[in-house]
This record gives sequence, C-alpha cells and structure tokens, in this order.
Amino acid sequence: MQSNQHKIKKGLDILIPGVATKTVTELSPEGDYAVRPPDYVGVTPRLLVSEGDTVDAGTPLFEDKNNEGIPFVSPVSGTVKAIVRGEKRALLAVVIARSNEKCNVTSAVVDSDALSLRQKLITSGLWTRLRQRPFGIVPRKDSQPKAVFVTTFDSSPLPVDIEFILQDRKEDFQRGIDVLHAITGHVYLSLEKKDRPSFLSETVNAEIHYFEGPHPAGLPGTHISCISPINKGETVWTVGAQDVAIIGHLFRTGEYLPERTIAICGPCVDQSQYLRVIEGAQVNKITDGHLVAEKSQTGHLRIICGDVLSGTAVTNDDYLCAGCDKVCVIPEGDYYDFMGWLRPNFKKYSFSRTFLSGIMGLMDSSKKHNPKIHNYDFDTGRHGSHRPLFVTGEFEKLVPLDIYPMQLIKACIVGDIELMENLGIYEVEPEDLALCEFADTSKTEIQAIIREGLEKIRKEG
Amino acid sequence: MKLRLFFDNLKPKFSKGGKFEKLSSTFEAFESFAFTPNTVTGGKVGGGYRGSHIRDAVDLKRTIITVVIALLPALLFGMWNIGYQHYMADDIMRVKMGGMFFIDHLLCFVFGFLRMLPIIAVSYIVGLGIEFLFAEIRHEEVSEGFIATGLIISMIVPVTVPLWQLALAVAFAVVIGKEVFGGSGYNFLNPALVARAFLFFSYPSHMSGDSVWIAADLWGTDAIAGATPMGILSSNTELSIFNCQFSIHDLIIGTIPGSTCETSVIAILMGAVLLLITGVASWRIMLSVVLGGGAMGLLFNAIGANEYMQIPFYYHYLMGGFAFGCVFMATDPVTATQTNKGKWIYGFLIGAFAVMLRVLNPAYPEGMMLAILLMNCFAPLIDHCVVAVNINHRKKRWSTAERRNV
Repeated sequence: MQSNQHKIKKGLDILIPGVATKTVTELSPEGDYAVRPPDYVGVTPRLLVSEGDTVDAGTPLFEDKNNEGIPFVSPVSGTVKAIVRGEKRALLAVVIARSNEKCNVTSAVVDSDALSLRQKLITSGLWTRLRQRPFGIVPRKDSQPKAVFVTTFDSSPLPVDIEFILQDRKEDFQRGIDVLHAITGHVYLSLEKKDRPSFLSETVNAEIHYFEGPHPAGLPGTHISCISPINKGETVWTVGAQDVAIIGHLFRTGEYLPERTIAICGPCVDQSQYLRVIEGAQVNKITDGHLVAEKSQTGHLRIICGDVLSGTAVTNDDYLCAGCDKVCVIPEGDYYDFMGWLRPNFKKYSFSRTFLSGIMGLMDSSKKHNPKIHNYDFDTGRHGSHRPLFVTGEFEKLVPLDIYPMQLIKACIVGDIELMENLGIYEVEPEDLALCEFADTSKTEIQAIIREGLEKIRKEG
Repeated sequence: MKLRLFFDNLKPKFSKGGKFEKLSSTFEAFESFAFTPNTVTGGKVGGGYRGSHIRDAVDLKRTIITVVIALLPALLFGMWNIGYQHYMADDIMRVKMGGMFFIDHLLCFVFGFLRMLPIIAVSYIVGLGIEFLFAEIRHEEVSEGFIATGLIISMIVPVTVPLWQLALAVAFAVVIGKEVFGGSGYNFLNPALVARAFLFFSYPSHMSGDSVWIAADLWGTDAIAGATPMGILSSNTELSIFNCQFSIHDLIIGTIPGSTCETSVIAILMGAVLLLITGVASWRIMLSVVLGGGAMGLLFNAIGANEYMQIPFYYHYLMGGFAFGCVFMATDPVTATQTNKGKWIYGFLIGAFAVMLRVLNPAYPEGMMLAILLMNCFAPLIDHCVVAVNINHRKKRWSTAERRNV
C-alpha cells in the first residue's frame, strides 16, 4: 500500500522576515469591493449587471462566455459602483459599493444527492472556487475529476498558518470536505507533518497525506505528483482550505459568507498579523497603517496579493485577488547597484553560492529564521539582465516533480504541444516552477512561459 | 554618486532617437558593467505583474566573473612559467639560476606577463569587437560570455603563436562557432576550443612539434626547442626517456613546456575548487571526466600491448590539456549536456575518448580538445536519450491509467 507520509527533498525555503503573528483583527466591512475577471485563467466575461444596479451578496455579476452557467457573484450587498475596463475594453473589475443593510442571501440547506449538491455549488457562485488541473481554470459544470486536492499548509515564503486560520471554522471545513467528497467521490487532504496533533488530521471523508520538506512541499502540484500524478486526459480539482470552509458554511447554514482571514506580512509591514475581511476588499483597507516605506531604498513598495513567488502585484487602489490568503509587502528594487556583479555582498540572497551569502547558507543547516544569519534584503530588483537560458543544474535542485524543468520550459518557448505533453506540462501550474524563476541566472520569466504553454494547449486542444 | 550621474547624463544620447542610437548596446554593456540595472520584476514599479517578485542575486555577469577568478591561479602561474621556461632553456641562465631568488622569479613573471599581454589583448579586442558589432546589429545586449572565453583562448595556445593567426582563430571561433547560431548560449561547440582547433588544423607547424612552446625572446615568434610531455610521448616511445625528463613533481607543479597557462595541475585545481564551491561548474562533469580518463587509462594499462598503453593512467591527468579541459572547458554549460544523468555520460566519455585518442593515435597529442569537441556534438543526443526515458516512463503511466479507467 502506498504510504501517506511524503518527504520532499528538493526545494528551497526562502526566509523573509515579517511573518504574521498569530493575532486576528476583524476589519469593519465598510467600503468598496470588487470581483476581478483577470484572476481567473481564460475567462471571457459576459456582464450580467450594469452600473447603478442593486445587488445582494451572492448575486451573479458576470459569467464566462466559454463556460456558461457558472456565475461569478458579488461578495457583498450594495450597488454596482463601477465597471472597470482596460485595453480593448477587457473587463478588469466589477466594483460594488457596500450598503449598510445586512442582507446576506440565505437559502434552504440542501443535504441530498451529488447532483443537487453540485447544482447548489454552481448557483451559489462558490463553484468558481474550484480550480481544475491541467490549465488552472474554473471547471466546467459537468466536469468529473478523478479527485479533489485540498492543501492545509503553506510552505511559500512568509507562510500563513492555515490551521490557525481554520481553528474556529472546524465545522465549516468538515462540511465543505463532505460536500466535495459527495460530488467527486475522492478528496485528498494534505497536512504538514508536525510533532503535535492537529484537528485537521481528524477530518473524515478525506484521504489524509502528510508532507514535510522545503517549499514547494506545500503546493498542490507537489502533492498531486506524489499521490496521484495527472495523466493525459485526466483532470483533478484543487480547492483552497479557506474556500472549503466557505463552501461548508453555505451548506451548513445556508448563508453565503465570503469571509477570509488573510495575513498582512513582509519586511515592509508594521505589526504583521492576520485580518478578517470580506473577499474582494480594497487593498488600502488591508494595508492601512501597516506600511513602512522607510525600509525601501527608493521609498517604493511592492504590494503582492498572494505569495512573493507567484502572487499578483497590486496597488493600494486595487482590490484583493480571488483566493488570496496573504498580502506581502516588500521593497521595490528600482535602484542601481554599483558593481553588483563583483562585490561579495552579504546582504543579497543567492541560492547559487556565487555570493558569500549563499556559502553562509550552505553552512547553516537550521531551518529556523535566524536574523543573524538570514539578514538579507529581499526586494523586487531583478539583479541582472535577461540572457539566454543556459545555466544548467539550478532547476533540478528546486523541483521535486518527476519532470525535466529546463526541457519543459524550452518546449513551451517553442510551442511544441506534443513535446510539452510528453515532458509533463499537465502536471504543472506556473507556481510549481516559481522557484526556478526565482533562482534562474538568465532572469527568464518562466511562469509566464509555462502559462503561455498551457494556454496554447487549452485553446488548441 | 558621480559615476551614476555620468551615465544618467549620457543615457538619452544613446537611447532611441538620441545622437548615438546605433551604439545603444555598447552603452548598455558599459553601464550594466558599472551598475547592476535598476530593473524590477515585472518591468515596472506598481501593480499588474504576476510571477516571482523576488529574484536571486546571481546573474550571468556574476557567473562569468567567477569563472574568470577561477582562471587566475592558472593564468598567473602560466605567466611565471613562460619566463621560467625561457630562462631554463638558456643554458647560461640555467647555470646562473642554479639557486633562484625572489628577484629571479619576478623576472620570470615579468617576462611571461609581457609575452601574455599581447596574446590576451588580441583575443579580447578581436573577440569583444565582433561581439559588440553583432549585438549592435541585432539590437541585443552584449553578452558577457566572451570575458571568460577570450581569456581561456589566450591560455591554451602556444606562447609563440603569431598574433595574426590568433586574431583569425578568435574571429573564426566567435563568428562561426557562436554568432551564426545566435550568440552566447546558442552555440553547440565550445568557442575556445573552436579557436584552438582552428589553429591546430590550419597552422599545425605553429601549434605542435618541439619548437613552439618556449619563447626565445620577448618579442616575435621565435622559439627555443623544448618538447612537451605529449610531444615526447608521440615522437618517442621510450618511457625511460620520458621519465627522466619529467618527474611527476614537475607535471603537477607545471614547470614544463606547454600551452601558455594549462601546465600546472595545482593552479588548475585551485580554480576547480572555487568553481565547485560556488557551484558554477558541474561536479558531475568534472568527476566523470576524471573517472572516464582513469577507466580508459587502466584498461590500456591492463592490455599493455605497447609503450603508450603502459603509461600509468594517472599520467594522463597530469599531461597536456586534460586537467584544464576537464575543469574549464568540459564544464561549459552551453555546450555540455543539460540533464544530470547526461552529465555523467558526457563527462565519462570525454575522459575516455581523450585518453583513447592519446594512446591509440599519438599523432594527435590534442586528445582532450578533440574529445571535448566530439562530445559537444553528441551532448544534445545524450540529453535526448535521457529525457526520452522520462517521456517513456510518463507514457507508460498514461497507458496503465487508461487501462484502469476502461
């Protein structure tokens, strides 16, 4: 029998200061909220509301022209304040001004067969929380995956403690797992291997697997490849742990309550902590009072929805991205570095050991963040010019999947679909190769290349 | 900072629409040499970018400069050795220098330094000139790869190489060996070895034999007769003569005639240590080249049919360009295999072929050069086979899954 203990050996924990402390502050629900179509891969939105319309929490705002019948719904009650469009009139966001009356839509609690559970999930708008692999898209209505993967720990830089977030939503989480199990027949729950017992390991209706090791030990891509790799023609779903709880809450109480606990963290954050907000809140609501611009050489800060390796850069006026569990703030690196390629440089982190910092890291085997050793300045500087992709041996140390990253990236660059398939494109999402992009000497935008490769197959397939 | 202001003031002139627009690549090369650019991930400060927001501090300049630093011990020793060989070949000097003092060593170094300077200068001026030209034509940034390549070329030629031949060889290596394929990173042959091979096949009389390795005077191409270990072995099969001329001690230290800077195994090993600590060169390739050479050497020792085969296997590590090729040229990531398994095969075959060429075809003392160039050609094939195993493994999984689902 296959073991449910997995030890990941390849990878890298990037230790950035500013991890969120375990306190939760509830933010007032005032303000504007938005749903952003660009957060969903491959969605061509068809608007269902217009400016000035009154909407409730759970009212459909738009749907995908290519995947009809799955509404994307409003997180709050209020009026449609703005419909933001970008180049070629692409829909960027539907902004809702929240009104004060609390009128969360409640509906009858269904507890019946898989089909009606599925239907309920779709009409509630929570179906859009599901992600299908390959391609990272919202699954079709009739999609039947071979399994659902739920990840309950974060191994990326500035990790959030999902167990801590979920501890007062235990019932919701369990109910969510039950629903997913009923719809698909198989749920895999990935837990971090710890010494102390976790309430998550008592979850029923799910096959529990334990993982340990450096990032990407906490990514669903790693778990899928360890437990049940995706074969050509197969699909799996992944769902975020908080989304499972939100789904569970709907089926338990009938209330659509898109509330998340997110971390505000990073080296440029004062009082890093957890905040409870309604999804789609404006970023300045989260960052208000937390930003420390002095830590940046140029005074510029990069606010990132999601983790620093694969998240989305936002500004204070933007809105939270779908499914994000943390907002990280790091200094922008838009300064010139005199003779940067020559100086020994203790303050700059490198995986490559061509910097003294890398050699120091080699000698240090402890995994804990130690400010004396890990006193690096992380910023958004690219630290060099773009070059052809040829330095080898870096990626292999960082990718625990059974693929050849360099060859896969090159196959995506040339757009050879058969080669991409053969090299395992279906087994990856861009985030699975984020560490390669981080460490790459040639400064290639690997995640964008992988996304392009996946999109090419999706559109032509 | 004043230098920063200087670049900021000049920048508009070299940017699009500026007076010197055509020299933008050249300007960029110098600017990024002085300052690591202020580019941020995603290209702009602010929102919108999706990907890795932080990047490793390493870039190609850092990698290349590490190689150059690793070359320095061999380069400095080589300069000294050029002078040393020159004075030792002169009988009068040898008597005088029976006991060498610091000033004599310094003399040796200065002589070698002055001999090496024009070789390095020609290599860089010709090579970088062509690189800059191609970068401007292609509107690309100048790649830093030639900083290492140019130095390596000057380190693996005989000290008496006519400078016009060197210039031709460098031009050939950069244009035919590299630029026609798209520049640094797209070539399939090691450009330094292309230059060496060009010289070897085009001007064999200046590249081999007994009379090219020791400089007769400070200028010019005149040489003093003095054979290299490889040369002696290829012309004379009496091991006893070889042994009394070169002790293992001399071979390891490198106080022997040979190409300018590749005689000292110790100096090369110092560079190897740096490359291995920094991880710039693949330890898999280095180790497997040594294993391959040793295995082939031992095999010949076991057969022992003639004098060549009886050369103790470890001599092969110490003679000719084996050590230098193993550390600095087999490990070139552009032309080596890219997969870890492939690196083992590639390195092992380089070592094995180098020794095989030396032993079975003594007319070609340049076994290492030919072995590396040969395996450069086969590197893509080796990778293809390694990756094919992974692909087959995946397809097998697909078909078992299909059968299960049916």
